[in-house]
Amino acid sequence: MTEMFKSVVVTLSALAIPALLLFFLVYGAFRKVPVYETAVEGAKEGFSIAVRIIPYLVLMLVAIAVFRASGAMDILIAGIRPATDLLGLPAEVLPMVLMRPLSGSGSLGVMTDIMKTYGPDSLIGVLSSTLYGSTETTFYVLAVYFGAVGVRKTRHALPAGLFADLIAVLAALVVVRAIM
Amino acid sequence: MLNYVWLALIVVGILTATGRDMYDTWANTYGNDIPWHLSTFEIENAIDAGQGTVDLTLSREEVRKHFPLMKDDPPEVVCRAEIHMHDASHGSILLRIPANSPAVFSDIASAQGNDKTVVGTMARRGGEWLILLEPVRFVFMKKITTAAFEAATLAVQIAIGLIGIMALWLGVMRVAEASGLIVHLARLVRPLTVRLFPDVPPDHPAIAAILMNVSANMLGLGNAATPFGLKAMEELNRVNHRPGTASNAMCTFLAMNTSCITLIPATAVAVRAASGSADPAVIIGTTFLASTAATLSGVTAAKLLQRLPMFRMARSET
Repeated sequence: MTEMFKSVVVTLSALAIPALLLFFLVYGAFRKVPVYETAVEGAKEGFSIAVRIIPYLVLMLVAIAVFRASGAMDILIAGIRPATDLLGLPAEVLPMVLMRPLSGSGSLGVMTDIMKTYGPDSLIGVLSSTLYGSTETTFYVLAVYFGAVGVRKTRHALPAGLFADLIAVLAALVVVRAIM
Repeated sequence: MLNYVWLALIVVGILTATGRDMYDTWANTYGNDIPWHLSTFEIENAIDAGQGTVDLTLSREEVRKHFPLMKDDPPEVVCRAEIHMHDASHGSILLRIPANSPAVFSDIASAQGNDKTVVGTMARRGGEWLILLEPVRFVFMKKITTAAFEAATLAVQIAIGLIGIMALWLGVMRVAEASGLIVHLARLVRPLTVRLFPDVPPDHPAIAAILMNVSANMLGLGNAATPFGLKAMEELNRVNHRPGTASNAMCTFLAMNTSCITLIPATAVAVRAASGSADPAVIIGTTFLASTAATLSGVTAAKLLQRLPMFRMARSET
């Protein structure tokens, strides 16, 4: 069952992009759209959007880098550890939980490190890779997406995103404990 | 909110670095200004020639004396040294740090600005040689400075790297828009989207971009997901009545996006396989369940939070 699901998903993700390109463009041509000229018009926007997010991306990544390099993470982990111990969350995955919303490369490093130290098939290994897979780098996404449209007042986007991350951690803990 | 978090990251980072540097100074973590005592006769040969390369042994006792905070029993460290004599009893020395030496040696090397070498001066006192390494201070200050500059460069590289892929997808999206396909796609998911995004007209191009972004995320196609996501934000901004402030639809979309239901966690599976897992794909099921729970609760949270007084938009303007 899992195998079948996996092969379907793998096939889908391999075919998705070529199929999408083919379908969109052929449908456009069928509808008498001048496909090349239209695509060029749209592509021109790519530059301005990418350039527009630069200041947001720079400032967000710098703040995260300063925080990471200072080693403040270790202190934070020591601080919230009593609470996570109560939940039954292994202390070894705490760096993963805290790093994931902040930094993609940072959390990838943490995950690789955990795999090396505790083995990929241990509870800690499965849990940390599940965590990596099931949440996004919330801060990065918010900075980039809001930066692209010049939104400065982000309202409840961050609390909602972090709440979802928290639920992902709890759900991952329950599910992984159930199968191991 | 992002304001405070951003400020907090920087302030906490700098204060922590300051605190750690102060602690390192107080505890003398790097053994600054403590001379290494050596009485190796090889040195004498090098000195006769004015300069030379010798193997120096830093004994356990010496290592312990320099780094009393070291938790494990200190090992003996043998390193290759390059010596340049200024006169008969004074010279400068460069030590190559061997790979198996305690981490503190590499810390000193990187704090001095080198990769695997530390530098210092040497002088004769009676029958022995004293080596004084260049003192190491403000290690964390230097670390956060380097990290900040590197991150700034990296951010621009990421953004520039996005240009090509953005151009490709926005071009294709424009064709889909012109052909009317976007409207059809949006209609397809209308029952769901009128509930999730009540402020957005159901046929709006934003809906199609959101749909494409979410599908790409589900399949683990991160490269395609970002352009669609940014396009979705642009379109949502067109129906936003208060430019500069996030609309309800934007917050709901981002809650979906940052917690997106994942069918194939490609990177995590690859890392598991690379670390020799017996069953790398075991996390596909757990990830699917965990991310589904996250998406549902993220969207619910966004829907509930938007009504709170502190997050609510003024009625007249929505």
